[in-house]
Amino acid sequence: MISMRGVEKHYVPDAPALAEVNVEIEAGEFVFLVGHSGSGKSTFIRLLQRELLPTGGQIIVAGQDVVRLKNWKVPYLRRNIGCVFQDFKLLPNKTAYENVAFALEVIGRSKHVIRTQVPEVLRLVGLEDKTESYPDELSGGEQQRVSIARAFVNRPPILLADEPTGNLDPATSLGIMSLFNRINKTGTTVLVATHDREMVDSMRKRVIALENGHIIRDQHRGVYGYGD
Amino acid sequence: MAINIGYFIKESAQNFRRNWVMSLGAVITIYLSLLLVGISMATGFIVSEIVKSVEDKVSVQIFLKDGAATEDVEALQAWLLSDEMVDTVNYVSKEQALERFKEEMAGSPEIVENIRENPLPASLDVTLKDPREVQAMVDKIMVNELFLKVCDRPDNPEESLKYGQQIVDRLFAFTRIVRYIGVVFVAMLAVVSLIFINNTIRLAIYSRRKEIGIMRLVGASNWFIRAPFLLEGIMQSLIGAALAILTILLIQAALLPWLRDTLPFLPVDLSGGAMLQLSLVLVVAGVIIGLIGAGLALRRYLKV
Repeated sequence: MISMRGVEKHYVPDAPALAEVNVEIEAGEFVFLVGHSGSGKSTFIRLLQRELLPTGGQIIVAGQDVVRLKNWKVPYLRRNIGCVFQDFKLLPNKTAYENVAFALEVIGRSKHVIRTQVPEVLRLVGLEDKTESYPDELSGGEQQRVSIARAFVNRPPILLADEPTGNLDPATSLGIMSLFNRINKTGTTVLVATHDREMVDSMRKRVIALENGHIIRDQHRGVYGYGD
Repeated sequence: MAINIGYFIKESAQNFRRNWVMSLGAVITIYLSLLLVGISMATGFIVSEIVKSVEDKVSVQIFLKDGAATEDVEALQAWLLSDEMVDTVNYVSKEQALERFKEEMAGSPEIVENIRENPLPASLDVTLKDPREVQAMVDKIMVNELFLKVCDRPDNPEESLKYGQQIVDRLFAFTRIVRYIGVVFVAMLAVVSLIFINNTIRLAIYSRRKEIGIMRLVGASNWFIRAPFLLEGIMQSLIGAALAILTILLIQAALLPWLRDTLPFLPVDLSGGAMLQLSLVLVVAGVIIGLIGAGLALRRYLKV
């Protein structure tokens, strides 16, 4: 589902943000991407979304060669990738329902599809009672659920999350992680970048550890790591 | 697609309302530039109508002396017809000239009544293929020996010729100046409108940067993201064009009757066809300005 071979990314010459990255992620896997701030986690995720192009190497996502992909085809790649962020990225002037529906509207889905899929996904994330609430009327955890619903409403085969629990307390984070787990159970490939040590240790999933842009560990049923 | 079009219109209208001061500025500059285009076009239409009607009247009249030998007149006529500048040559007898004079003076019967004997000379009316060549033709006629033989005033041949070179020259000069001034003003205003549209679209993009980010994130196609902004640019210029057309119609309704009254001898008129052509040009020019202005802003400020 995701394949990176010999991927490098330099923002400035001779200071690689990512180097010699070789990763294969199969369909249906649940993977944690861990590392300190500045270790290259975000660069990793943004390369997969084709927000960035690598300096070198090959990236295949959902069967498409991301590096060679024509510009106008990028939106169609992104329809296969749901994205969740630390800051939720919800539109403040839209309700939970409207925020999720927006993601379908702008890729041209019909009203009928929107009316059936949005309530369904809101039920999946446990927000069926808050559909008419605006983001500032929701707690952080609820806002993140809305953003997960938005990322998943189109049923993409891949879900990327960049520090999804960075702004949440441990109890709420646990709820979010179990939601990712449930989404993963539907067959979706889930990649979560995080430095939430307890979470990673408790879930016992595959862990890819980055340090200074290099993969230092790739472990099935892994933990966050040793040392700090 | 039906929902999409509704969505685009809703989005553009919302953008318009959010930045209505800038949008108004854009609409006004487009309005002014298109108004100038329209006015110079309308003036062009009217003047060219006048030029045409004057051109029809521009002929060289050669007055003949009473009792000129018929064969000399015929020879002159043949010589004129053989010239490639000449279109037609028409012989007008003394009687016909009087008839014509009486018709033209029908409004003042006292003059007509006072004519005892026919004071008018017979003449040859020469029309030319290109009215602008009148002067050249006149110069040619002036040195022709036959002409000197039969003309009304051999002592002063120039007096035996009548032609409207000066009118034609002045009208052509006038239309040319109108056109140049129009082009310069329109070019300047077009640049100003482009800058204004560019700015309003930039603000619209800025105020919607969150939405745009999410649209990119969830895979809205590039044209789906761009369309509302392009539409907004086009809407601004269409409003400007509509206002300009309306203003020209008002000016036409107010000014043309007055012009006709003050210049009764000139056929001042703007036909419906010309007005339609003018409106079409304004709308198309407006759409082009809007598209270019919005397109430039999108290229510079909207990363998709």
